[in-house]
Amino acid sequence: MDGHENEGILQCPSSGMSTNPLPEKVSGMIMNSVSMYKHSNGADPFFSSGWDPLVSLSHNENFGGSSMVSHREFASTPYPIVLENQGISGTSHLVQYPSSSTYVELVPKLPCLGSGSFSDMVNSFGLPECSQIVNSECPQNYASSKEDGTGRTSTNGALSQDDRQMSGEGAVGSSPNAKRRKRVSDYNNSPVSPRQNAAGETEKDLSGQSSDVQKESDEKKPKTEQNPGSNFRGKQTGKQGKNASSADGFKENYIHVRARRGQATNSHSLAERVRREKISERMRLLQELVPGCNKITGKAVMLDEIINYVQSLQQQVEFLSMKLATVNPEQNVDIEQILSKDIINSRSGTGAILGFGPGTSSSHRFHRGTFQGTLPSISSTTSKYPLLPQTVLDNELHGLFQVGFDSCPAVDNLGSNGHFKPEL
Amino acid sequence: MISKGATRNSNSRRIKFARRFVSALLHMRNQNPRPGSLSIEGSVRTRSQRIKIAAYLSMAQAVGSRRAWSRAVLSKLGSRARRHMRRMGRSSLGSLKKKRVIRSYSPGELGQAKKLRQLVPGGETMDICSLLEETAHYITCLATQVKVMQTLADNFSK
Repeated sequence: MDGHENEGILQCPSSGMSTNPLPEKVSGMIMNSVSMYKHSNGADPFFSSGWDPLVSLSHNENFGGSSMVSHREFASTPYPIVLENQGISGTSHLVQYPSSSTYVELVPKLPCLGSGSFSDMVNSFGLPECSQIVNSECPQNYASSKEDGTGRTSTNGALSQDDRQMSGEGAVGSSPNAKRRKRVSDYNNSPVSPRQNAAGETEKDLSGQSSDVQKESDEKKPKTEQNPGSNFRGKQTGKQGKNASSADGFKENYIHVRARRGQATNSHSLAERVRREKISERMRLLQELVPGCNKITGKAVMLDEIINYVQSLQQQVEFLSMKLATVNPEQNVDIEQILSKDIINSRSGTGAILGFGPGTSSSHRFHRGTFQGTLPSISSTTSKYPLLPQTVLDNELHGLFQVGFDSCPAVDNLGSNGHFKPEL
Repeated sequence: MISKGATRNSNSRRIKFARRFVSALLHMRNQNPRPGSLSIEGSVRTRSQRIKIAAYLSMAQAVGSRRAWSRAVLSKLGSRARRHMRRMGRSSLGSLKKKRVIRSYSPGELGQAKKLRQLVPGGETMDICSLLEETAHYITCLATQVKVMQTLADNFSK
């Protein structure tokens, strides 16, 4: 049974990993374009004049975060309402544009997200030529947006190859395929090498992603920092950390999830993937907590180790409580002082916990007999092992559990319940 | 791997646990004036049981109600629960238990998940995800408690 579990568990990550290189590159292109726009902004007067008044509109700061602040020149922020409505369609357009590489198309790309409202805004700012382009381009985009997710992926795939050639950098991101409203994808805004061609799509990208970011659930804030990590399966750069921090400020009610390239976009499978990633995240945390589990890969073995560790800790508590019970209670006059001194002194010496192995095993043997005689020997053995090597620890753990299963009346309380029976 | 913040956190936690545990021990000592009515082994066992309960109780109290496991411990070990236990027997605990939630979706882990649920207090009604989270916190707190008790025991035996 354990073998099967391992297979199932280990296959999943590998299948996930195989699809990663492609979306990485596709998104790399997008990342490039993101920074491209930023850099071109200063260079091209058109952009600065065209977008600044739009930017001045966007002081809602719905997006919050440093990412938006850093890319303030982007006009993505003025369109929170627009993007919410067409968040899904927005990203689908992103990949379709990079092949057309004139800056004139920059303007229509953004408005296609919300053609009506943007054209109004554009008109108000006196950019008539833009609005015409908007109207011409937008119907085409909307028609394409109504394709299936699979259809989009195919077109995206074709275009992404062109895109890869365009960009030279392989920044991390996720593929702009079918987007689902399940989880945050906050991989936007990583500054990458500048390029004017895909500047328009950077806006789109940002706007689409900002809509993603907007829709982050507020209760997931501490976990969103880890979301990019789990999304990208550990391929984080320093920019990712920045994105994570930028995502903290958002407060929305539902979560956005993006299906990666080549993966099923069924809502069920997406939910499962989110769940699996959460679980693997927690398992990683636990791996750090439990000593001697750095080399273990696989949920089943890890869970076994965790169970063993918890059991051993509980047995330690039991043993120590017995030890304390045998101590003469009249001695604790200066308990607080002793305790504070010891705690401060033992800040560095954290070997006490690791020295439990021999101590507890011997205690169980002496369990039924007299305690007083054995106590000094036990304390001496514990002091001998300030830092137990990991292999020895494993052996001790195994020894412990064999010993622990002996029939001892007090230990039986721990047995199946796990912690205690409060019988007084 | 442990940052400075983590050590500071662990130290403050340790001090908190220590204080509570010690006060619980003192309280227990004051509550128990009769010296030798039982045999030595019997009295030691009872006292060790009480000390163990005091350890868990103080640990859960120090954590407070922030964590599911501490809430479960407190509900089990709270003074009301103890009175319940004494008067009405163990059957009352069944009424305190919540309805069982449908468990994890992944089928391969049920055996270990079951064991873990039994180990971690309050783990019966949690899904795997929160169970793992609670386990992590529970492990850290248990480890701290063990350290505290170890230092105490070392002090007394010296």
